[in-house]
Amino acid sequence: MSIEKISDPRQVRHWPGHMEADYIYTHGIAGERFFKEIKENGRITGTRCKHCNLVYVPPRIYCERCFEKLEEWIDVGTKGTIQTFTVAYVDIDGSKLKQPTTYAMIKINGTNGGLLHKIGEANLKDVKIGMQVEAVFKPKEEREGSVNDIKHFKPVK
Amino acid sequence: MEDVAIVGVGCTGFRPITPEFSYKEIMFEAATRAYADANVNPRKDIDAFITCGEDYWDGHSIFDEFVPDQLGAVLKPLFTVSADGLIGLATAYMLIRTGQFNTVMVEAHSKASDILTFTDIVAFGLDPIFNRPLGGHPYYIAGLEMTRFLHETGTTKEQCAHVVVKNRKNALANACAAYGADLTLEDVLQSEPMFYPLNRLDTSPLADGCIVLVLASNHVAKKLTDTPVWVRGVGWNSDTSWLESREWGRAIYAELAANMAYKMAGIKNPPKEIQFAEVDDLFSYKELQHLEALKLCGRGEAGKLTEEGITQRDGQMPVNVSGGALGMGYAPEVLGLQRVLEAALQLRGQAGRRQLCDVETGLAQSWRGIPTATGAVAVLSREVK
Ligand SMILES: [Zn+2]
Repeated sequence: MSIEKISDPRQVRHWPGHMEADYIYTHGIAGERFFKEIKENGRITGTRCKHCNLVYVPPRIYCERCFEKLEEWIDVGTKGTIQTFTVAYVDIDGSKLKQPTTYAMIKINGTNGGLLHKIGEANLKDVKIGMQVEAVFKPKEEREGSVNDIKHFKPVK
Repeated sequence: MEDVAIVGVGCTGFRPITPEFSYKEIMFEAATRAYADANVNPRKDIDAFITCGEDYWDGHSIFDEFVPDQLGAVLKPLFTVSADGLIGLATAYMLIRTGQFNTVMVEAHSKASDILTFTDIVAFGLDPIFNRPLGGHPYYIAGLEMTRFLHETGTTKEQCAHVVVKNRKNALANACAAYGADLTLEDVLQSEPMFYPLNRLDTSPLADGCIVLVLASNHVAKKLTDTPVWVRGVGWNSDTSWLESREWGRAIYAELAANMAYKMAGIKNPPKEIQFAEVDDLFSYKELQHLEALKLCGRGEAGKLTEEGITQRDGQMPVNVSGGALGMGYAPEVLGLQRVLEAALQLRGQAGRRQLCDVETGLAQSWRGIPTATGAVAVLSREVK
């Protein structure tokens, strides 16, 4: 029995359908402030729950553990620790990436959260759990208030 | 409150493509089989209907409005649960326990082969502001999780590959499985690297198919069948949707869902009281992570037990004798019912060539896939208590 089987039904009679699904997503109160800090000041911020002593990155206006409203904002720095990572060899359309992409969940130091991002300026074989990394921001004039205002995280020298 | 039993099962598929049937016809076929198996007429005997699915999988906005006719449910109480089928089963269980409904149908289906842009839909499930702008194939989330799971537990890629070899081999004995194959460890380990440490054969290929179950209250169940399969406990749980707040190494949603189901079923020592398990294996490592979460073995032990053959069909704790999702195929939202179907057939003694000896109690568990952290568990038995 073969391992791979034909899975393309486009060979049989069918009616093509296309689902238009375009949206804009407003960032919300927490997102607005978070991305403004990144764009204008190159700063990563979080919100703290004083009841649970948890620091949320990305920030939220509520605590998911005690359901309190969060109003204390803190600058959490730009350094973090690789909590886990992967190397993607395949693009979203299934094609092979010319240059594999290294993704990591970066625990921002001193917080209970982090950012999902790419790792750059690193040798693939050196990337490991526990590695210290820091955010590399795009030049200010190129920043537009998005998670991609951070180019990637790079190993701390 | 009356106990609840599965009194009828029907399945169509699973296949890589189903060119001759529309998704509604797939449902009609599975429902017809389930009603024949339960010996019920849906127009007269079924009190309520539950379907499980999600608009994007069917390519149909408000698809839940398009399910009554092919199930015999027109002008009857019906609703759709936007979740895996095992959560639909838990919902059916609750409906019957209210005492207002005696016979309830639960259904989940997939015609994934209709979807031309499956990965785009999965990527559309990521947080639109913090995660989605990074781009890429969303299965990198599974790569991230696998790295952390291997790191925390000392599990190896080889041990994960053993899961693939076992499940695809088990699928050879299951006529409902789309992807039965006789593989070697090398086939798996040398298959195309996709999202390190995940290779292509560590992932479940998509499949079409539908499963329909008929559940009934104790007094009705005993009239309908000599082989009721009792639902002794159900549980479900969701972790935070924020990837940034998850633990990554552990499947906490499965731990808590199992705790809930075990408590309901009075299970104190899972490895002793449960003789076989059907658990989510959408990616090879998930079977191991889930076995540990379900306390069917200790943390970091699942890989070793798999390597030693304990989870093989002839081992002490057979796992995914059906072939799992790796062998039967990934039918979105149907995975939990795939697991329940096998458990029900095993407990009825109707699993054919893959029948296990003397099984009294089995477990079925599901996970909703990338990027969710939602799972459900059901404990099923031949005896009420
Ligand atoms: Zn709190």
